[in-house]
Amino acid sequence: MITLSGLVIELSTGFSLRVDGLRVKKGETFALIGPNGAGKTTLLNALALLQEIKAGELKIGGKDALRKAHRLELRRSMSYLFSRPYLAGGSVYENIVLPLKFRGVKDSGQAAEMLELFKIAHLRDRDSRQLSQGERHRVSLARAFVTRPKLVLLDEPFSSLDARAKESIIADLSKITKARRTTLVLVTQDQEEALALADTLAVLKGGRLLQSATPQEIFSRPASEEVADFVGVETVVPGEVTAKSDNLCSVRAGENTLEVISACAPGDKVLVCVRPEAVSVSWTVEASSVRNHFRGKVLAAVPRRLEYEVSIDCGFRIIAAMTRQSVEGMRLKPGDEVYASFKATAAHLIKR
Amino acid sequence: MDFIYDGFIKGIALILSRDPEIAGVVRMSLYVSVFSTLIAVFIGVPLGAVIAVKKFPLKKIVISVINTGMGLPPVVVGLLVMLLLARSGPLAFLGWLYTPAGMVLAQVIIAAPVITALSMAAMQSLDRKFYLQMLTLGAGQWQALWVCLKEVKLSILAAVIAGFGSVISEVGAVMMVGGNIRHQTRVLTTATVMETQMGNFDTAIALGLILLAITFLINIALTFIQQRRAAAE
Repeated sequence: MITLSGLVIELSTGFSLRVDGLRVKKGETFALIGPNGAGKTTLLNALALLQEIKAGELKIGGKDALRKAHRLELRRSMSYLFSRPYLAGGSVYENIVLPLKFRGVKDSGQAAEMLELFKIAHLRDRDSRQLSQGERHRVSLARAFVTRPKLVLLDEPFSSLDARAKESIIADLSKITKARRTTLVLVTQDQEEALALADTLAVLKGGRLLQSATPQEIFSRPASEEVADFVGVETVVPGEVTAKSDNLCSVRAGENTLEVISACAPGDKVLVCVRPEAVSVSWTVEASSVRNHFRGKVLAAVPRRLEYEVSIDCGFRIIAAMTRQSVEGMRLKPGDEVYASFKATAAHLIKR
Repeated sequence: MDFIYDGFIKGIALILSRDPEIAGVVRMSLYVSVFSTLIAVFIGVPLGAVIAVKKFPLKKIVISVINTGMGLPPVVVGLLVMLLLARSGPLAFLGWLYTPAGMVLAQVIIAAPVITALSMAAMQSLDRKFYLQMLTLGAGQWQALWVCLKEVKLSILAAVIAGFGSVISEVGAVMMVGGNIRHQTRVLTTATVMETQMGNFDTAIALGLILLAITFLINIALTFIQQRRAAAE
């Protein structure tokens, strides 16, 4: 659906975005994630043909999107939802049929279908200025889908909604995109939203594309320390591969040796990445298939949204995610001596 | 002080008598001002809208030039247009000097910057993303601008009121370009000046009152439309 190569965008602010290559397949949901100022919206604006491109190639649906002659036709094959829904004055119905009017198409039931689909039929004649934020988002979605676009671009579309409204809209959005095989490109800072929706994730930082892969791949096997840091891999230990048996690498990190399944070779300088939820904490080492056990001192146990984040000093700092029940059951407190364990398959090596 | 009172009474009597001479002057005033305002609207509103939403080099300078145009002295505009239309001027072939067409040209030059600048300001008050959103919904450039203009229609109406106000009350340019010729180019403002200079205060007051009444009526009509829409929104 979208192929992009050698893209260079330079903004008047001095910010530049460079993306060597990117592919979005037809019907897939593609999420762009990254910290503030990474260039996610700039890239999305480029895909929406709203951003001047200095160099590179961009093809949408096989057409050269940088040719001015294709611009209107391509724009009419897509929809773009900004983070804030921009509704025109007039009724909800008048807003939904606006894209049809732009194309000179008469409404032959498309608007009613959208009103039903996004559960806003009761708002049909309501003035758009009298809607709640959630209703405005729904009208904006209905308007975006009324022309059956092949490509929908969303820029942090639900960031202003509460969790419940967001969940409900995401469910409706997923339903319609799957049913119509609509290609969706989504910009988000919310990793849970990205995981819930995306088939493919791309991580951007400082105007560079760091990694593009499936969410599972990115969260479990980040390609660089920056990606690891962004996707919440909190334990990153520098070391060197000292030995390898089959795919099991022994990594020397200070006084400790960690065992990790990887394609790296002895002599490689690496970073060992372990996700907090892969680390278990116990008073003693229990007989199991787990290959990595490190004795250390609890530094802190900090409550997070749904769990506790326990940091342990084992000669390197390791972070474990624990349930409140486990922390309370073990009566963990700073200074306690515990074992932090993780499987060789749960860790990931990044070459330095 | 009596001459003011007498002039006032005689002026009202003159209006009530439906003097054909005064009626002709009123018609010419309305013709020139309404026509020039309409032309200025067709130039100024789209131009202001385009300048507001488009990004282009020297945009700030273009905006400064237009804003300066709002303060153009009518007498200077009159002089310029008269020189252009004069027998040896570059636009002499039009034959517009001392005609209503020439007066319209001068008044368009006065009203267009006012309407352009105020339309531009109105469009700039709208988030540019609204315009971009319309483009992404499949609008062509002009379709997107039209939807944006509808969003700021009350401010656009204010621009039209200001544009009309700047020409209906203007005297310098129409005097120089029109020449205040009886039955041809005489308008309310030039007639008022002439009658005052001739000491015919009653006629001058009558003309002044009519000018005030017209300005008031047109402004009240436009304001009524504007406020009704504002209340509806």
